Amino acid sequence: MHLAWAMAGLVALAGPAAAHPHIFMETEIEVLRDAEGRAAALRVTWTYDPFFSLVLITERGLDPDGDGTLTAAETAALQGFDMNWEPGFPGDTYAFAGAQAVALSGPRDGVARYEGGRIISSHIRDLVVPVSGLLVVKNYDPTYYTEYTIRAVRAEGCATEIIAPDLTEAERALQAALAELPADVDVEMGFPEVGAVFAQEVRVTCAAS
Amino acid sequence: MRRILTLAGIGVAALLGLLWLSGGVDSLARAAAEAQRALQAPLAGAVRAVQAGQPAAWAGLMVICFGYGVVHAAGPGHGKFVIGGYGLARRVPLLRLGTVALAASLAQAGVAVALVYAGVLALGWTRERMVGLAEGALAAASWGVIVVLGLWLVWRGLRRALQQARARTADAGHGLHHHGHHHHDHDHDYEHDHGPDCGCGHSHGPSVAEVAGLTGWRDTLALIGSVAIRPCSGALFLLILTFQMGIGAAGVAGAFAIGLGVAVVTIGVASLAVWSREGVLAGLGEARVWKVLPVIEIAGGAMIAALAIGMLLGA
Repeated sequence: MHLAWAMAGLVALAGPAAAHPHIFMETEIEVLRDAEGRAAALRVTWTYDPFFSLVLITERGLDPDGDGTLTAAETAALQGFDMNWEPGFPGDTYAFAGAQAVALSGPRDGVARYEGGRIISSHIRDLVVPVSGLLVVKNYDPTYYTEYTIRAVRAEGCATEIIAPDLTEAERALQAALAELPADVDVEMGFPEVGAVFAQEVRVTCAAS
Repeated sequence: MRRILTLAGIGVAALLGLLWLSGGVDSLARAAAEAQRALQAPLAGAVRAVQAGQPAAWAGLMVICFGYGVVHAAGPGHGKFVIGGYGLARRVPLLRLGTVALAASLAQAGVAVALVYAGVLALGWTRERMVGLAEGALAAASWGVIVVLGLWLVWRGLRRALQQARARTADAGHGLHHHGHHHHDHDHDYEHDHGPDCGCGHSHGPSVAEVAGLTGWRDTLALIGSVAIRPCSGALFLLILTFQMGIGAAGVAGAFAIGLGVAVVTIGVASLAVWSREGVLAGLGEARVWKVLPVIEIAGGAMIAALAIGMLLGA
């Protein structure tokens, strides 16, 4: 029985090599700055794909007339639907000061609405250490069950750029990661989480104020 | 003509190898994901149309589900992997492998229907729970079956290589050209299990059908089971959604339409695998095929097992 659970858990981690996405999200990243002009928080806005939105709305018994819009009461019932994160869940958003990973707080100020048959949900993640200089943000699911596409970046007074993954480079990284797997694969280490190298990268540079 | 076509399989094998090495497989997977993303809106629209009772809504949903199955299967996945790997490793006729691929895809749809309806009607499970089971324990079970199948191929290849070695020793005193003995009335529908004195190790140019008859019911079950046991999340979403909307029948039909779409791709993969393998074997010449077959089987089986173990360990 323990083995069954262990196996289930392991495979849940497995994903990447055999995974294909089932849920598609469009992401908008907004960089919020503190008084000193440093990047202090990220507002992450996810637009769910129409099919998964319909699944989520229907299973909550919302929008029974199927017109793609909710009443005020229904919108209230939708709030917080994707904010119940398990402890330690990184929220598929990752931040870096240059190359150095920066921890993010749990989500706060979650707001969700339903518009044109799509759920749009946003939340704020605080950068545990504010970043001055180059801030890099990625949004990806390591298991690739959900595919995120970053559509827009907003950061007032900052230079922003969305960089597509270098697929050839990503492929090389994957091959290298696979080649490095020891024969006696450490269960804890698990399969290399290659979702990151296939992810887009947002680069934000804010001028200090 | 037939021989030329068969030999072209060498080119197919080379192209597939090149595609793999150049990262083309990955590009293909991304293109498939793009296409699937584009289908999410029409899929939602088609489900709504059925619910609203619009004319021809059913036909529309079936077409979109079929397309969803095709693009979904074109991405990386266990079904193509196991069917294609088996087709490379073992000299199975295309018709048979294609039938297995079709049966596996339809059985996979059947498992999705069974899981969702048992889940919602009997067990009161949530969507998360059902999808969690499919992506967790059932996925593990699927890779587990694939590991066993790979090891089973290795073992059989080893045994056959041993038999051949023994047969060659036993045959050493004979000429190379004694064909006419006991080869023609075997029932090749079961495991080819000659004793060491059979003498089948020499070069008498077996037909594909003769050798391929070795594929037994255990392989068929393992192939179908490994694919079917792990239902596709997309089908689960569709089934749960349509059940909740009160249009469950449309969802069940849609799940099987997805299965047919998946089957188109897995049958395509089966064809490429069989073509590549036969091309390479034809290029080698029938005389060497006997010697090579166990080697391919061992190598193919080992690759299937290794990758599946990797996935299982999560790997």
